[in-house]
Amino acid sequence: MNLTKRSPESSSAGISPIWIVAGGLAIILGGLIIGSFTPSLLPPQASAESRQVDDLFRFMLVIGGAIFLLVQGLLVYSVVRFRAKPGDTGDGAAMHGSTTLEFIWTIIPAIIVTVIAIYSVVVWNSTHSIKPNEQVVGAVGARYAWTFNYNVTSETLPPGLTVDQLPTDTQTALNDTGALLFSSGQLHTWVNQPVAVSMQTNDVNHAFWVPGMRVKQDLLAGRTTEVRFTPIEAGVYRIVCAELCGSGHGNMAGSVDVNGNLQGAWLIVHESEDVYLREFYEPNARQLLFPPEDPALRGRAILASGKYPCASCHVVNDLNWVGAVGPNLNNVGNRAETRVAGLSAAEYLHSSIRYPGEYLVPGYNNLMPQFNPEPDQTNYMPEDDLTAIIAYLLTLKVDA
Amino acid sequence: MASITVPMPGARPQTGTRIRVADIFRWSVDHKIIGIQYMLTAGFFFLIGGALAMGIRWELLTPNLDVVADGQQYNQLFSIHGTVMIFLWIIPMLAGFGNYLVPLMLGAKDMAFPWLNAFAFWLIPPAGILMLLGWFVGQTEAGWTSYPPLSTLYSLDGQTLWALSLHILGLSSILGAINFIVTVKNMRPQGMGYFQMPLFVWAVLATSIIIVMATPFLAGALTLLILDRVAGTAFFNPAQGGDVLLWQNVFWFYSHPAVYIMVLPAFGVISEVLSVHSRKPIFGYRAIALSSMAIALVGFTVWAHHMFTSLTPELRIPFMITSMIIAVPTGIKVFSWLGTIFMGKIHFTSAMLFALGFLSMFVIGGISGVMLAAVPFDIHVHDTYFVVSHLHFVLFGGSVFGIYAGVYHWFPKITGRMMDERLGRIHFVLTYIGFFFTFFPQHILGMAGMPRRVSVYAPEFQGLNVVVSLAAFVLGISTLLIIWNVIVSLRSGKKAGANPWRALTLEWATTSPPPATNFVGDPVPYADPYGYGTTGSKAYLDALERSYGESEYPSPDAPKTLQKVGAPAGD
Repeated sequence: MNLTKRSPESSSAGISPIWIVAGGLAIILGGLIIGSFTPSLLPPQASAESRQVDDLFRFMLVIGGAIFLLVQGLLVYSVVRFRAKPGDTGDGAAMHGSTTLEFIWTIIPAIIVTVIAIYSVVVWNSTHSIKPNEQVVGAVGARYAWTFNYNVTSETLPPGLTVDQLPTDTQTALNDTGALLFSSGQLHTWVNQPVAVSMQTNDVNHAFWVPGMRVKQDLLAGRTTEVRFTPIEAGVYRIVCAELCGSGHGNMAGSVDVNGNLQGAWLIVHESEDVYLREFYEPNARQLLFPPEDPALRGRAILASGKYPCASCHVVNDLNWVGAVGPNLNNVGNRAETRVAGLSAAEYLHSSIRYPGEYLVPGYNNLMPQFNPEPDQTNYMPEDDLTAIIAYLLTLKVDA
Repeated sequence: MASITVPMPGARPQTGTRIRVADIFRWSVDHKIIGIQYMLTAGFFFLIGGALAMGIRWELLTPNLDVVADGQQYNQLFSIHGTVMIFLWIIPMLAGFGNYLVPLMLGAKDMAFPWLNAFAFWLIPPAGILMLLGWFVGQTEAGWTSYPPLSTLYSLDGQTLWALSLHILGLSSILGAINFIVTVKNMRPQGMGYFQMPLFVWAVLATSIIIVMATPFLAGALTLLILDRVAGTAFFNPAQGGDVLLWQNVFWFYSHPAVYIMVLPAFGVISEVLSVHSRKPIFGYRAIALSSMAIALVGFTVWAHHMFTSLTPELRIPFMITSMIIAVPTGIKVFSWLGTIFMGKIHFTSAMLFALGFLSMFVIGGISGVMLAAVPFDIHVHDTYFVVSHLHFVLFGGSVFGIYAGVYHWFPKITGRMMDERLGRIHFVLTYIGFFFTFFPQHILGMAGMPRRVSVYAPEFQGLNVVVSLAAFVLGISTLLIIWNVIVSLRSGKKAGANPWRALTLEWATTSPPPATNFVGDPVPYADPYGYGTTGSKAYLDALERSYGESEYPSPDAPKTLQKVGAPAGD
């Protein structure tokens, strides 16, 4: 290939069209091959949104891969072909530019980004739109655990139950507020059900991310934000906090303990609405509507529901809690009696939840949130919840 | 026929003025000393930021917390890592290059405001120390992005020191930028219109315009943050009528242009190095010059792409569109640089290796940037390791590679000595491989589900994290090579002539190092700073060589006595 006889301003620089076409095809093929890696790069497609997002990504990866190969290819070619020979200190071709080439490499990228932008708008409008018959779940992010709130109304009572069969207290509450809610540390739904999560934070900004669903939305202090998705595969999907929120930011992701049990925030997608109702909604609704008489049982139910973020910091074998930040509570029923002179076990436990900084356990930092008695305060814990929790904690004894 | 700027035949050029170690620690208004002061100070903070990165990667070898005491300490590690790298390494290092080179490239004796120049530099060491002192009162832990309420209501006093320190650094940056703008506008020599300036000067000009327009917004945000923390105001506290998104918008309104502050001067370095070391004109000079200005302006319209998961949903698409637009001028540059080396005569000096490395790595960062601009995909990867990967590809694969190229390219001019090319090549290979395997796998980690800013992660991510950490340790070690090279070359490097690379820009038309007043008389620039390949430029360079001595690339026509024995450096 003789490069010296052509005019230096020629836009093809003396390369025959055959090579340009062949190179172009190789680059496109290479881009397609690179793009084919998409499924191995992303989590399994478990939501309607994930299919659309993954296809958009693959489109961008094919183009990006092709551009990468083009640039690298020209770089390597130039570096090999136009290497200065030893002892050659002369200059290269006095080429200052080529209007044609510059036009081409301005207009083609402009077209490419325009196409990507339009494609993105289409995907965005589809994934972001409000779907019919959404299941609305409330979510609260706090340092460092997630709480999901489910409404129980007189229209959504478990089958076979009518309002007048409920205890009087519950009936009054239901009439007063229209809905009661129970909490869980997990987000439950079922296949093909559009979900809308309405989210608030107790403290700093957090972000709700379910990689399997490809959705993410920040929780902003002082606001309620929303995220929506529609799962299409049954299964369990990790929920991850994706906005730096403090020392426990990494702990706000769902995890799996040594026994293989799910710990922390997970999205549970049941195979059908029936399974969801049977395995999750109805047992929890019943527990809410017919609270156990025994305070210790009630306390256990409250703690197990994830309504309060205790699991993120404490170990309680009975509840499968493996938190590593605060004192182990497996024997707290015994220890509380003698922790502080002059305080009964119940008084000590009451103080350590209402005023956690008061009697710090040696070796631990003052990290525990303070649970306050009034509804307008942060980390609100009503007194009767606290009484039940204390009753339960007092049963946690490891016999010698 | 181009004019030639060498002194009368037979006249001896004034010998260079060596800069002594003591000069570096003293107040001086000489832009060359100030430039070196910037570069050494920045280099020092590069090592601190790098050490913090090693700590981060050590912790991330395992999914559990086992190196740092707790999550808070880990958060402090990366918060200071990011802040130091941005404000105490890249920005001042590139300012140092600008300070040293812009007056020389313009044939000027100094910057427009030499006293202001020194003052702007001397703000930096105390500001840096102030930021590090935060350690003693509870270091900042909210990331370099410092979002309230975490940074206002839930952070320790180090956060206030951090904000004060950034205030000072921002002031330093603004003062330097004013100086550059006035210098470029007023002190170009006869015959150098804007479109005869070297592209590095264009880059510094565009950067300075960004700094002057954007940094005041950072100052505003920091002031509100400090007031919220110490004066009981509630700008960012919703409980009392404030808004957390106010911080995010004002912060990013500065911080997005800031990324162009960090990369445009590196683009300028690349334009210089690629042209000189392939002995070929820059391809598309006007396009590169004007695209820098386009990036500077359009860069002000894209900021909320950092907020796609917190911004009001309706505003996300408009910011996607502006973010896509800015890909085009950047792409123009990359292709123009490829056009520059194509049909050149490429010498594989260390400077050139890093410039080529820049071309291959920065492109990956550009591609991942366009992906991040696509809102639906960004929603999945925002605040994950995909973003960490992108930012390091453009800031390390881009800016730091550009800085390394600039060091190898201009070290001879600054010190009068050549750097060791063999060490430089080893440095390049280690850096390139270490860099790629540190940051490329992070794309995959992010897409697979690993968020950023976490010290604990799901066990299935450990494999890739170990790869990343080991590669990062290699990258850390590779940094020692250039430090060693600098030290050894200062002491016993081969003496460099005035123009070892046989380059056309004005900084090479004087001794190495330059005399205190930079030039003998008023230098006249060669008409085309990239006019390689013509008889006119060859004559000019030959004349320079006759006056100032032989170069690494002596003229092909030079008499045998002047011609170097053996291959040019780099082969």
